[in-house]
Formats: sequence, C-alpha cells, structure tokens
Amino acid sequence: MPEHRSSREADKSLAVQTFDLGRSFGSLIAVDCLNIDIKQGELFALLGPNGSGKTTTINMLCCLLKPTRGTANVMGLDINREAHSVKALIGISPQDTTLSEHLSPLENLELMARLNNMEAKKARKYSADLVEVMGLQERAKDQVRRFSGGMKRRLSIAMSLISDPAVVFLDEPTLGLDPQARRALWDYIGNLKGEKTILLTTHYMEEADYLADRIGIIDAGKIAALGTAMELKAEVVDRQTVVINAWNLTVASLDAIKGRYPEVKVNGGQVSVAGKDLDFKEITDFVHSTGAIIRSAYFKEPSLEEAYLKITGKELVA
Amino acid sequence: MKFLTLAARNFKEIYRDPLALAFLLAFPLLFMLLFGFAVGGTSSPVYNVGVLDRDETELSGRFVNEVLAEVPSLNVSTFEDAESAAEKLKNGNIRAFVNIPEGFGGEVLKSYQNQSPDIVLNLTYDESDVSVSSQIYSTIDAAVREFAEVHIPVTINTSHLSVEAEVTQMDFVAPGIIIFGLLILVPTSARLMVKDKEAGYMSRLLTTPTRPWEFISGYSLALVVIAIVQIIIFIMLGVAFGMNIVGNIFLAFLVYFVAGLCSIGIGMVVAALSKSENQAEPLCWLIAMPLAVLSGVWFPQEIMPDFIQVLGDIFPFSHAVSASRMIIIRGADFGAVSSSIIFITAWAAGAFMLGIALFRHKMKG
Ligand SMILES: Nc1ncnc2c1ncn2[C@@H]1O[C@H](COP(=O)(O)OP(=O)(O)O)[C@@H](O)[C@H]1O
Ligand SMILES: [Mg+2]
Repeated sequence: MPEHRSSREADKSLAVQTFDLGRSFGSLIAVDCLNIDIKQGELFALLGPNGSGKTTTINMLCCLLKPTRGTANVMGLDINREAHSVKALIGISPQDTTLSEHLSPLENLELMARLNNMEAKKARKYSADLVEVMGLQERAKDQVRRFSGGMKRRLSIAMSLISDPAVVFLDEPTLGLDPQARRALWDYIGNLKGEKTILLTTHYMEEADYLADRIGIIDAGKIAALGTAMELKAEVVDRQTVVINAWNLTVASLDAIKGRYPEVKVNGGQVSVAGKDLDFKEITDFVHSTGAIIRSAYFKEPSLEEAYLKITGKELVA
Repeated sequence: MKFLTLAARNFKEIYRDPLALAFLLAFPLLFMLLFGFAVGGTSSPVYNVGVLDRDETELSGRFVNEVLAEVPSLNVSTFEDAESAAEKLKNGNIRAFVNIPEGFGGEVLKSYQNQSPDIVLNLTYDESDVSVSSQIYSTIDAAVREFAEVHIPVTINTSHLSVEAEVTQMDFVAPGIIIFGLLILVPTSARLMVKDKEAGYMSRLLTTPTRPWEFISGYSLALVVIAIVQIIIFIMLGVAFGMNIVGNIFLAFLVYFVAGLCSIGIGMVVAALSKSENQAEPLCWLIAMPLAVLSGVWFPQEIMPDFIQVLGDIFPFSHAVSASRMIIIRGADFGAVSSSIIFITAWAAGAFMLGIALFRHKMKG
C-alpha cells in the first residue's frame, strides 16, 4: 500500500488519531476518509445508525481489518506498520459478545490476560478482582455458556480491561440489553472515565449523551458532526418545540394546524410544532381555536435527538 | 509460552463439551467397529497353500504334517517340485506356497538346543491379493515360530515377537482403518479453529499480541492430545478385534502419530483459508475422502492403476498405511520404515508452515 499521510500533523500525545482513514468493501465505502482525534483519558462516542461504519472503524483501529485508505495512530503507533505493538496496548469488547463458552469467567479473563503477555500470577489476581468488580463472583467458576446476555456483556467488557490497556474499544456495549442491565453498565463505564481512553460506539442517543465526553456522529461512513453533547445541541439551540397534548384533535383541526405551521408532528393525542422563534401563546391559542381541548402544553428543550435529526437529515431509529 | 495457554483453552473447550467429545471419538470408532464386525471376528476363511519340503528331515516333516496341516485357516497340499507348485499358484488353485529349504530341520534343532537359529522359509504368493497373502504370511510366520520355539521372525529379521497362531483379516484391514480414523482429524481440526472464527471469538484473540505460529500451535496442540487418545483407542480396538501386532507397537504408534500430525496440519491449512464451517467442512471431506481411497485405507493400493498409486504416494497417508502394515504384519523395524516416517514428518512440517503463512496472510484483514 502506498504510504498515505494526510495533511494532518501527527500528534503523539493523542490516544487515537486517524488520517483519512477509510475502508471499502468492493464498491461499498463503509468508512470514508475519517479524521478524528481522541485525547488520552477521553471517552469518545461514535454515534450512528446500523451500517454507518462504526464497527468497521473499530476493527481497523484494532488491527483486525486493513484500511483501504489512510491510516491511524493508536498511542502514537501506526496501525498498519506497528500492529503487533498496537495490540499490546488495546482492549476490545466486540459488538458480538463472543466468549469461550465452556470456560468460566475467571478462565476467560485469565486467558485474555495471558495472551496480552501478563504473567500468570498477576493474571490470576487481576481476573479475580475484575470478576468481583463486574459482580460475577458468585458465578466465577461456572461455564459462561449459561450466562444471561447482561452477564456475558459485563464479562466481555471485563475482558477488554483485563490487560490494563491504554485504549479500550467498546463496540455497542449495551446492544440488546434490557434497560436495567444497560443502566448498570453505564454506571460501570462511567466509573472508568478519566482512567482510560475509551472509544465507544452506539446507536443509542441517550447512551452517547450520558457517557461521552465528545460525540462523533457518523453517517454512511462519514463524520457528520463532532463535539460535546452540549456543542451538538447548540446547533439546534435556536430550534424549539412546543408539545401539546389535547383531546378532540379532529382531522380538520390537524389539517388547520399543519397548514399554519411548517413543521408539525402528530403522535396520537400529541401535536409537536417545531421551528424558530415560536410564540407559545399564539400556538396554543390557535390549536384551541380549531376546537381541540388542550390538556397540557410545554416547551421542549433541544435534545440530542433533534440535533441528530438536523445534522443527518434523518431520525436515528434505535 | 502463550501457545500452551491457548492450547489449554482449546482442550478445555473440547473436553467440556461432552457431545462434541463423544462425536470426536465415536465417529471414527464407529467406523472401526463396523469394519471390525465386517471383516474380523468369527468367520475366518480357509486358504489353499502348497508346501515343498526340500529339507526332508524329521523336523521339517513334522512341521508340515503336524503344524501347518493343523492350522485351521490353511488347507495344505504337498508338492514335489517348484514348477508344479508355481503352476497351481498361477491357476489360482493355491494362494501361496511354502518352500522349506535344506537345513531347516537343523536350524530348528539349534533353537531347541538354545543356540541362535537362522531359520529360512521361502514363501511365494500371488501378488494381486495382498490382503490374503499377508494373512498367509503371518499365519505361516506364526506357525513356524511356534514350532521352532523361537521368538524371532523367520524371514524378516526383527526381535521381540509374540507367537500367535490365529490370524484374522483384521491384521491387514486394521492398520488402514486406523489411518482413516486419523484422516477424520482433518475436519475435526479445521472445525476447532473455524468455529471460533465464525463465532467472532477469533477476532477477539486476534486483537491480542499473539503471533500466527502461536495460534496454529495453540490449536494444534489440543488436537495432538486428541490424536494420541484416538490412536491408543484404535490400536486397542484393533487388538480386540484380533489384530496381531508382530512388530514394535511403539514404532506403529510413531507412524500413526506423524500421520495424525499431517491431518492436523492439513486441517489448519483449511481452517486458515475458511471463514465458516460451511466453507471448511466440505473442503475437508473433499480432501480426506479421496486421500483415504488413494492411500489404500480400504483397498490395497496394489490393485489400483499405476498412476493412481503414484498420485497416492505424493501424499503422506499411503506411506503411513504401508509402513504401519509392514510393522504390524511383518514386524518391520525402524530402519525399514524410517524413510516413510521422515517423509510423513516432512509433510506435516510443510502443512504447518503453510498453515502459519496463510494464517498470517489472512489475519491482516
Ligand atoms: N466484511 C464486510 N464485507 C462487506 N461489507 C461489509 C463488511 N463489513 C461491513 N460491511 C458493510 O459496511 C458497512 C458498515 O458496516 P459496520 O461498520 O458494521 O456498521 P455499524 O457497525 O455502524 O453498524 C455496512 O454497509 C456493512 O454492510
Ligand atoms: Mg457495528
């Protein structure tokens, strides 16, 4: 592959730095010319729908997949030329939670530790500690194949941390979990903040909002926007939404509302009117005048959801 | 020693999965049993054998009339000259004939007097029927050793032998079937690694700083343990079905062991090339089945056309079949089979190196 360096300067103090990083599968461009910087100790979330290129990006950074263009540095090491050294510095929890099914959590952890060059004694101690932290001590010696999805995911994340890596990649860590298990994992991942550099991917808006220091919105292999949750929301700060819950919303009244305001969304007995510089009283009065009986009405804060919608032009369906 | 850690993991994955383990051992075992019942056991055929007594001593006479004539699987007729015996052999009236040379009685007498004898028998047999000839060979070999009370073979010089008069077809069939059992290690080996690839577990392992050779040896080592267990079971089962091991059992084991390594190595090559079990499985059988036929696992290679034999001899398993037969049936020593063992070992080494190279190539995504 020809040496490819983008115009960007390499900054060795960054945990992850990509240079026009891209990967195609045949004619499909899965990741297109990605340029992101992740500082050490930062929790960076790649937020995007299925198929937007999140896993492909992680796989390239973990040296599992060769980029078809560009390159990246992980802890100052080139993923193309210094893959073996990069691997010694990273931990990954893949999107599909794959464990050694007939091994216990302890054995799974010890294996990962040993493969990451940790000596046996230390590996045993670290594994026992992590099993406890992850709340798996009661089942520490059971084979993992009978574990619940949440337990497996916790173990998978523990496996990404066992070697005390500098950079941790968590690919959709809460995918498919029930809200309670998700919440528990958020708390755990939140606790890691500041200690480790974490690149997390998700297609859950709240997850990125709750956990990430910075969010990169990825869509069709491209970064559409990048910044803190606050910064992203600022893009839509001048955009407001008035939400009205009402009875007696007839077709005629809805048609009238839709005819008067450019952005109207109806959801059962709820009408949302969005736009710039909305006049709350004018809107509620108008809705009232159509014969609808207003139960409640309020201004909604701009959300990451709206920011996302504005940035990508589509809704993120979880 | 990362590959040992990996090997331990793989071994645990195998033995903690009772179903997989059962299948692993039961499948080849089933074949073995099937063949055992099919060819071994009760129905022992009777072969017509001619005898020409050139020695004409009392002892040679007794050997012919009291020993050979009493062997249940032989129907002995005596001849006056070699030509008429050869004629009968050509016509298929007899399957083999034994030429007892002058001095036979004297050598046997030496043995009785605890001097070391040099007993020679000349056996002429029909080349086209290797299975039968080997049995006749073994039968006569056993008979004369029993008669002369010697524990050394008669026409092949090896030491350490048990004397057994009863010989079954298992002697010929079992060594081949064992190789077939070892060929089944090709899909077994590939499956072990490809399962992890398909599940995505391999990706996880690949994000650790582990070298291709460590992966290949980590998977292979667990399989080597399986292979050793299989070989022991096969040999025991063969013996249970009446396989008579004339030669050194450890030498036979060595031949099977290196053949097993070849299977594992080929399995690793397939695993390195495949992404899923659906890819690996047919490819493995496509390799193992023709190899089984080419290598003379079921039918003697000698009955196949020349070019098929040449083709078969490119691969290690035909060498393993013939070497193991030579050891088990004829008591061949290390010197006699060393070139085969070297050939098979080189093949295994080549397969592993190819496996590692392919694995390295594929792991770069
Ligand atoms: N091995 C592959 N071969 C072909 N196409 C792939 C492969 N891996 C991913 N893709 C495609 O690349 C795109 C991005 O996939 P992925 O990175 O998995 O997205 P995400 O993780 O954001 O859901 C998708 O269109 C997917 O179908
Ligand atoms: Mg993904």
